[in-house]
Amino acid sequence: MSRDRPLELTVNDQPVESAAPEERILLDFLREDLELVGTKRGCDLGTCGCCTVWVDGRPTLSCLTLAHLVKGRSVTTIEGLAPPTRLTALQRAFVEHGATQCGFCTPGFIMTASALLRDHPHPSRPQILRVIGGNLCRCTGYTKIIEAIEAVAREST
Amino acid sequence: MHLDPFELHQPATVDEALCIYRDHAGDADYLAGGTDLLPNYKMHLNLRRHLIALGGIPELGGIALGRLGSMTRLADLEGSGPVAGAYPGVAEAVAEVATPLVRASGTVGGNLMLETRCFFFNQSRFWRASLGYCLKAEGAVCHVVPQKEKCYATFSGDLAPALAVLDAEVEVATDRGRTRIPLIDLYDLRGDGIRRHTLPPSAIVVAVHLPPIARQRLGTYRKLRIRPAFDFPELGVAVAVRFEGSSVAELRVAVGGLETAPRRFDELTDPLAGQQLTEERIRELAGAITRSVRPVYNTFLPPDYRRRMTGVFVRRALVDLAPASSAAA
Amino acid sequence: MASPTPPSPTGPFRLLGHRIPYVEGPLKVTGRAEYTDDLRRPGMLVGKLLRSPWPHARLLSIDTRRARAMPGVVTVLTGERYPTPFGVLPITHDETAIAVGKARYIGDILAAVAAVDELTAERALTAIEFHIEPLPEYADPRVGAEPVAEPIHAPGLRGSNVQKEVVQHFGDVDAAFAQAAFTARVRCRFAGVTHAFTEPLVTLAEATPDGRLTVYSATQVPHYLHRTLSEVLHLPMHRIRVVKPEVGGGFGGKSDPLPHEIACAALSLETGRPVKMLLDREEIFYTNHGRHPTENVVRIAMDRDGHLLAYDIEALLEGGAWSSFGTVTTYYNGVLAMGPYRVPNFRYRGRRVYTNRPPSGAMRAHGGTNIRYSIEVALDELAEHAQLDPFDLRSRNALPPCSTTINQFRITSTSFLRCLDAARRASEWDTKFRCLPYGRGVGLGCGFYISGSNSPIHFTPVMPQSTVHLKIDMDGGITVHSMQADIGQGSNTLLAAIVAEVLGADLDRVHVQRVDSDVSPIDIGSYSSRVTFMMGNAARRAAEEIRARLVNAAAELLRRPPSELRVGHERIEVADQPQVAVSFLDALHKAMENSGALTASGSFSTQKLGGDFKGARAGTAPAYSFAAYVAQVRVDSETGMVTVEKVWAAFDCGRALNRLAVEGQIEGAIHMGLGQLLSETMNYRASRLMNPALLDYKILAPDQMPEVEVLLVGEDDPEGPFGAKEAGEGPLVATLPAVANAIYDAVGVRCRELPVTPDRLERLVRARRAEGYAWKEDR
Repeated sequence: MSRDRPLELTVNDQPVESAAPEERILLDFLREDLELVGTKRGCDLGTCGCCTVWVDGRPTLSCLTLAHLVKGRSVTTIEGLAPPTRLTALQRAFVEHGATQCGFCTPGFIMTASALLRDHPHPSRPQILRVIGGNLCRCTGYTKIIEAIEAVAREST
Repeated sequence: MHLDPFELHQPATVDEALCIYRDHAGDADYLAGGTDLLPNYKMHLNLRRHLIALGGIPELGGIALGRLGSMTRLADLEGSGPVAGAYPGVAEAVAEVATPLVRASGTVGGNLMLETRCFFFNQSRFWRASLGYCLKAEGAVCHVVPQKEKCYATFSGDLAPALAVLDAEVEVATDRGRTRIPLIDLYDLRGDGIRRHTLPPSAIVVAVHLPPIARQRLGTYRKLRIRPAFDFPELGVAVAVRFEGSSVAELRVAVGGLETAPRRFDELTDPLAGQQLTEERIRELAGAITRSVRPVYNTFLPPDYRRRMTGVFVRRALVDLAPASSAAA
Repeated sequence: MASPTPPSPTGPFRLLGHRIPYVEGPLKVTGRAEYTDDLRRPGMLVGKLLRSPWPHARLLSIDTRRARAMPGVVTVLTGERYPTPFGVLPITHDETAIAVGKARYIGDILAAVAAVDELTAERALTAIEFHIEPLPEYADPRVGAEPVAEPIHAPGLRGSNVQKEVVQHFGDVDAAFAQAAFTARVRCRFAGVTHAFTEPLVTLAEATPDGRLTVYSATQVPHYLHRTLSEVLHLPMHRIRVVKPEVGGGFGGKSDPLPHEIACAALSLETGRPVKMLLDREEIFYTNHGRHPTENVVRIAMDRDGHLLAYDIEALLEGGAWSSFGTVTTYYNGVLAMGPYRVPNFRYRGRRVYTNRPPSGAMRAHGGTNIRYSIEVALDELAEHAQLDPFDLRSRNALPPCSTTINQFRITSTSFLRCLDAARRASEWDTKFRCLPYGRGVGLGCGFYISGSNSPIHFTPVMPQSTVHLKIDMDGGITVHSMQADIGQGSNTLLAAIVAEVLGADLDRVHVQRVDSDVSPIDIGSYSSRVTFMMGNAARRAAEEIRARLVNAAAELLRRPPSELRVGHERIEVADQPQVAVSFLDALHKAMENSGALTASGSFSTQKLGGDFKGARAGTAPAYSFAAYVAQVRVDSETGMVTVEKVWAAFDCGRALNRLAVEGQIEGAIHMGLGQLLSETMNYRASRLMNPALLDYKILAPDQMPEVEVLLVGEDDPEGPFGAKEAGEGPLVATLPAVANAIYDAVGVRCRELPVTPDRLERLVRARRAEGYAWKEDR
């Protein structure tokens, strides 16, 4: 017997009509059911930020969110941040400044930092440090991630 | 990591939520932001087959100077300029909870009702099974202080002490109706890591109410932890004080992260009303508080250190808040 | 082979030496880079592992019937099915994919299940029944170093749990100590630390009806995995295909062939279906293979003039349940003390002891971190005794270029003195050391690390350590194949840049292909800081071969002798008449007329290095990196909280071929080193790991990262590709002692036990005050 219940929401600006059991975690729903694998599974317990997506524009840990609790809402993943063949200014800066090494934490950082720059185009360094405080990077020591975010902040008008 | 199957309820009113709970008493949990409950569920800790999500209940929302709806997201509280300005200690405490991503989902009510924490409890089913489980979940023995009577899991919420020193009250909905109780009375120091609340399990925290006098108090919150992000408090010290001239009108000190419940030290601070907050009095108070707390070794840092730091943090907080003329240290 | 064309240029370079963004960067920032867990195959099953809840137990019987009978369960495997022992080192094969006969630590693998979904697989695990006999638990290596009742493996020395003992003595240490004017002795204890890469361990295996097995895995060393799969599963290597998708960090933790990789492949072979096995974070902590918990004692003798006379070192390493790289680790904890200073007398005794804990193994700056800490802290003490500035002590003893250490390490290039000079000046050391107010301080720590292990792990068959294949067809795209493993350090980018540099081609012509053992020539992978040096040389040779053919073709077109031509940007031109040229594509098409696509293979093998005594190969490398770091700290003496304000990192990696990547390695290594120093710990109570989670394993947060000023002062290495040496591991080792020595400068206490958590530091400061003597103006 299927325990699936209908689930309608918007993902990357597209309406999605699906179904899932009530205990389905948003991260699993995105990766397994919708095959949006750009969102990464790092720790599955909310302690690394690799799975960060936006729910109604707000960076959210998809590993600690029930899919059915975002019913009717708008979810944005790394795949939906820009048209598929284009990079955002922040994505370009991440590449140019060496802010991505192994790349596994990168989608989460991009989601977190893109929301910051959207809401505060010119964040201070302490503000940046605070906002990325829930995203873990084991490669970069954060230095170049911060530089990339600051570079975009400098360029934006 | 999947979750074991459960039924998800999404009531629209508090009464409906209470009703659902009653129907599944003993086999239901309320779900607020999920940042505490869902990791515990992923670790198969005290699973219930019914989850009652509170996010769809309008009455539990809303931020105002005098009232914080229990489903207020911590990030919204942090970002609310007027509230942060009126209650600097609360603003400091909320900004120190976990990480910005946790605060985006975590709620005021969730932080107040946070599950207690312990090395031997916050582990996977596999880990706990390898030790025969513990008193707090599925087992019969406490591994922190080996015995079978009392659970020593630590209360690790940051907001409770910060709100307690403002004489906040909580509005609670139960089967028997609505009540308002002092926030500090939510917690039962005579209980333990399991029986730590004075409320029945079905109760829902509706809102936190802050009295007007709270806005006249200076306040601060100091948190001991290894990292300035992620970590639960190894110690949290909240202080609020109102001066009349250079003397204390009211002083409140509360601590969290040390024992099974947060604690306020009115019996030590009330006698200071009308007194100057001299360096000596500050040291005496910090020493008395240090002597009265009893942390155990179930978090990252050892208890003797956390006790010593209790005195240091209390002293530093008071020195910072005291008028320059009274405390020199 | 004598080339008719001029050699590759020695610089300046068009690409190399500049800041080269990662070639796969755009895929990573858009979520389009493909990691193993992103792959799925039709009919794929979920693999799960049952793990031992016992630290040490004899497995008397296992009953899997109930589990097998559950709907949705496809197969259940126990250890007897594939019992062939394996291990990364051929001399210590003591692991099995699934436990055979005994469980040796909490987390050891007892059985593997393949089922239709995760929930079913987990339920099946709970239905497997064991009958066991508990055995004595060995958690303390000091206990295991003595004879024990029930050795964890075959009995070691005198019936103990000692896995490896190394004893070395060069010169006459006792005589040197007898004549020393100054001596220091430090005993340090180091908690175990682990890699904590962000990408979980994960493998996808697919056995197919043609008798082949394809294994996709998050690995740093596809070749060792390939060999091990063949040995344990009894399949010839040519019927196994190993593919390495993008890997989300390794730091040494994905360099052993790991039991879950083999178990996953075995499940696929048994079921004939694709099986994916994704480990959760707790399982990754149990898999470990992280830095060994260590206790060492370092004695140093120095003469009146500040010349080092002797080192006397003892190390006790806690190995956990398996050997892993441990034999190498045991050597490294002594021999990697041989630089960057001249040490005329040297004695070392190292022991590695099995315990009933998760295995220790290789982690970034493998074997060189803990011993470096003790040495550099001891030198700081010696400098103080001798009233020498720490910089002066070190520069007085620096190994010169083109020298040989007493244990016969060959030192070619060293810019260590330049490192010292740069760090001293940039940090304004002379105005700060012992001059900053109480609670603030600066400290110096230095570093030395191998640039690629000179000897491969496997000696048969004899083969190069790196091979790179190139193919250019008429489209002008340059396809690069190699089994080097990019795990985020930027080796794909370097490979592309070297090829493009040599050929004068635009970088976007070059496509580095995903590692696939069916098409990639063998490179022994990403460990021991070998990739830049060895792969770089192999790539350069392959590209030079193609280049010669392009130049010859251009010579025909231009009717000039090849010796008069040179390679320019996207063209080949007459050296003294650059306006006379043919385009890259025209030269290519000419060169292809008879042969079709141009292909070339370049390879690199190290020459024999080192002495002839037992263990002489350990630590030999074709080159070494050097470092001098100054850290500046602020210590809250009342709480023991340390803030690292800044690190000046002077590093000698020869010529930095990609400055962006080198800086990234240094900054990341400092972050990781600070974590080990200040807060990271594998926290055990007896055999039980108390913190198998990222919340409780304290990796430093962004706020705790100091400003880093990178000072790249290396001169060209004579044998490194374009003068380059390693920059992946060496940048870590100087971090820890620099900060520890800065803490001493700040508050006057020596940290002997890592991590230096605030409670430990606060206790040290209180103890110092209780002794009643002051430090700087703290009176």
